[in-house]
Amino acid sequence: MKKETGPGRRLRIEGKTWLIVIVVVTLLALPLFIRSVTFFQFMILILWYAYLTTSWNLVGGFAGVLPLGHAAFAGIGAYTSSVLFIHYGLTPWAGMVVGGLLAAIVGVIIGAPTFKLRGAYFALATIAISEGLRVILENIQKIGGFEINGARGILLPLKGHSPIDFQFLDKRYYYYIILAMLAVIFIITYRIARSKLGYYLTAGGEEKEGAEALGVNVAKCKLIAMAISTFFTAMGGTFYMQLVHYIYPRGILSLDLSFEIAFIAIIGGRGTLMGPIIGAVLLVPAAELTRTYLGGSYEGVHLMLYGAVLMAVMLFRPRGLMEPLEAFYRWGVQKLAPQTSVAADEVK
Amino acid sequence: MDITLATIINGVLMGCVYGLTAMGLTLIFGVMKVINFAHGSFLMAAMFATYYFFRLTGMDPYLGMVVTVPLLFAFGYFIQHLLIRPVFKIERDIREPISVLMLTAGLWIFMDAFALALFGAFYKTIKTSYRGAVYHFGDVTVSVSRFYAFLTTVILTVLLYLFLKRTRIGKAIRATGQDRDAARLMGINIDRIYDVAFGLGIAIVGVAGAVLMPFYYAHPTVGVVFDIRAFIIVVLGGLGSIPGALLGGVIIGVVESVGAQFMTATWTEGIIYAIFVSVLFLKPEGLFGFKAEW
Amino acid sequence: MSLLELKGVSKSFGGLMAVKDLDLTISGGEIVGLIGPNGAGKTTVFNLIMGFHTADHGDVYFDGDRTTRLKPYDLCFRGMGRTFQIVKPFGTKSVLRNAMVGAFCRVRTAQEAEQVAMEVLDFTGLLSKKDLLAKSLTIADRKRLELAKALATRPKLLLLDEVMAGLNPTETEEVISLVRKIHGQGITLFLIEHVMQAVMKLSERVVLLHHGEKIVEGTPEEMASDKRVIKAYLGDEYVIARA
Repeated sequence: MKKETGPGRRLRIEGKTWLIVIVVVTLLALPLFIRSVTFFQFMILILWYAYLTTSWNLVGGFAGVLPLGHAAFAGIGAYTSSVLFIHYGLTPWAGMVVGGLLAAIVGVIIGAPTFKLRGAYFALATIAISEGLRVILENIQKIGGFEINGARGILLPLKGHSPIDFQFLDKRYYYYIILAMLAVIFIITYRIARSKLGYYLTAGGEEKEGAEALGVNVAKCKLIAMAISTFFTAMGGTFYMQLVHYIYPRGILSLDLSFEIAFIAIIGGRGTLMGPIIGAVLLVPAAELTRTYLGGSYEGVHLMLYGAVLMAVMLFRPRGLMEPLEAFYRWGVQKLAPQTSVAADEVK
Repeated sequence: MDITLATIINGVLMGCVYGLTAMGLTLIFGVMKVINFAHGSFLMAAMFATYYFFRLTGMDPYLGMVVTVPLLFAFGYFIQHLLIRPVFKIERDIREPISVLMLTAGLWIFMDAFALALFGAFYKTIKTSYRGAVYHFGDVTVSVSRFYAFLTTVILTVLLYLFLKRTRIGKAIRATGQDRDAARLMGINIDRIYDVAFGLGIAIVGVAGAVLMPFYYAHPTVGVVFDIRAFIIVVLGGLGSIPGALLGGVIIGVVESVGAQFMTATWTEGIIYAIFVSVLFLKPEGLFGFKAEW
Repeated sequence: MSLLELKGVSKSFGGLMAVKDLDLTISGGEIVGLIGPNGAGKTTVFNLIMGFHTADHGDVYFDGDRTTRLKPYDLCFRGMGRTFQIVKPFGTKSVLRNAMVGAFCRVRTAQEAEQVAMEVLDFTGLLSKKDLLAKSLTIADRKRLELAKALATRPKLLLLDEVMAGLNPTETEEVISLVRKIHGQGITLFLIEHVMQAVMKLSERVVLLHHGEKIVEGTPEEMASDKRVIKAYLGDEYVIARA
């Protein structure tokens, strides 16, 4: 008989609060000690992926389906805020929210018919829709009077250091912003996991009819999760634009990015709270380092790493690396402080 | 007027090759209910195999199939045996088994990246005696290599059909696809059949690679386009249906060919995606309603 | 006043008539059994009552309201609960969590849901196993869990689909007393059963379904000796033999 080690328990973080606190404080304090721009670019990348994967996790983890076209929503966010900024001078802070709302609406419209599809069909549909959107954007020069330049993309007018325009010269601002965004989506995921919606989502994702007989409107729950997920993903797209000042369809609505988000979340542990973040923390640095030191030929090598790790995880730990890591953590604590009780707390 | 006819014919010819790739995919799905995201990568591997075989021996790819196709079969067999089977087993009771999907996705990424590292990014082509040669059918000009590809596809489809319907292994494969548990009860070794079916699917891709090389090029990313097309075709034709795959392929080929006359390549792509999504939502069992051809 | 009423309900699947013109009434507080040979349409009737299928003709009334077109989750909210013949637990989750999903039908917070779930697990004898994964339970415990989940939604009417199937005699007896306990709480029960001893022991009234049509209904004693019941299950020869 197996004790529960499933997602229910993995959501518990009480026992590790002190660890989280240390990490958060360290992250907040880093800019005081470190000046290297490259370092912060690196950290921003990790946090950005962690943010995107955590947003994805609401649908891909909790709702139990496999969306492989989520980058499209980042694209919607990026394009919306940029177009509004260029044509109306609307501050990207507001544009971000507008983009998020638009993405949420699109997400629900797409989700309604797509959630009826079975596993692999659903995945294929999300790919097709994402690619379809990309293709449309590549071929249109103007949408309703707004210039978007098709495949050449949009260049953001540079304003130097201009907080109101969401542009900064010092990367550390971006670092704090993405850190804050990650904290927000993390807390939201935490709250959802412990709420009726969270229980209903995971139930409906696992066993639809059984859940419906218990009062779960599975379709509605999935759509709610989709709306929240796409809203935040879109905001991540805006952030990206404000950081790099340039987007083009193949760059932001890319299948590569969609797949990466999914892989990282899955490798870390989809459906868990920390899984996607852990996945990002492990994989993004590894990929960047591989690319910097070994990659002579394009992106070749870091992708081999992703592919190999993904296969290995699917073969040996399909539920993700969270479980083994937690076990390792418990082992570590036992070694260092044998008196500490790390027995299972209540199940939430 | 003959522009349109030639366009359609070329579309049909190219569509047959798409259909060929899709046949392998639909076979694998029909039997194992596995979506093989790495399918395009196998095609890429087949094309490189054909390329290097040509470089080494100077033999025509069609003759080279004697070597390349069994090679691809073995490749597919072992990938399934070593990688897919264990993951498949773990997942057997899970409602929406995505681990295999993710595994094949990982395989796709890995293979493409590995090929890039191994073969480099240059486009590789081969020069057969008939490269660039054309046939004239009345007013219509048709490339010889595409025509050969078309013939091969037709022959292969017939052979495949006969294989599945008449031979013992073929019947075992179909039985497994229809009802895995019943097949097991009949004494069929399911695991072995899965290995064989997968290998066969990849062998078909091996043929596709061979017929493509005379008029196409090999490159680490060449599989991607074919991969997506293959999925679209498989859904159009009905997952598991061999004739559906061929017909679906022809449709896509024609749409692509005709579309290219009037709009940019990316718009044509967009149309194909639109068709795909519509079929997924409106008629997921496929346009033709072929019951899985078992 | 009747709690559940079916009037002229019919349903066919692709030309096959699964349920034909069914009239059925169940009053609050009853225990009614639904019997019939395999393929008679019993599970379809449950599916129609609880909204997994919609009737082609006829109507379903629950608690005075017409509920023919409502979805399962709406009906659950209105007080209908159901167990499935092939149990549908959330396998990778704990027993407690399974029950909590049901409890959320009536409460809003996880604390409250946990409380209700614990009560229900206690009632069904699963409290000691609350942290085990649902998929690791024995078949008897899975059936209990199926009951617990449904009970957590605080139903007025509980549809039990072959809840005794696959149990040995001891387990069957345990479930029978559990079902009685549930009835004692004031919950109306409608059971599909093949295990005759259970049907006869529990039901106040029994309905026989065959080829989708109601053949006869009556008390267990009446049904036991009714020729039509014997004919439905065993065929004509046995009727003659008994006579």
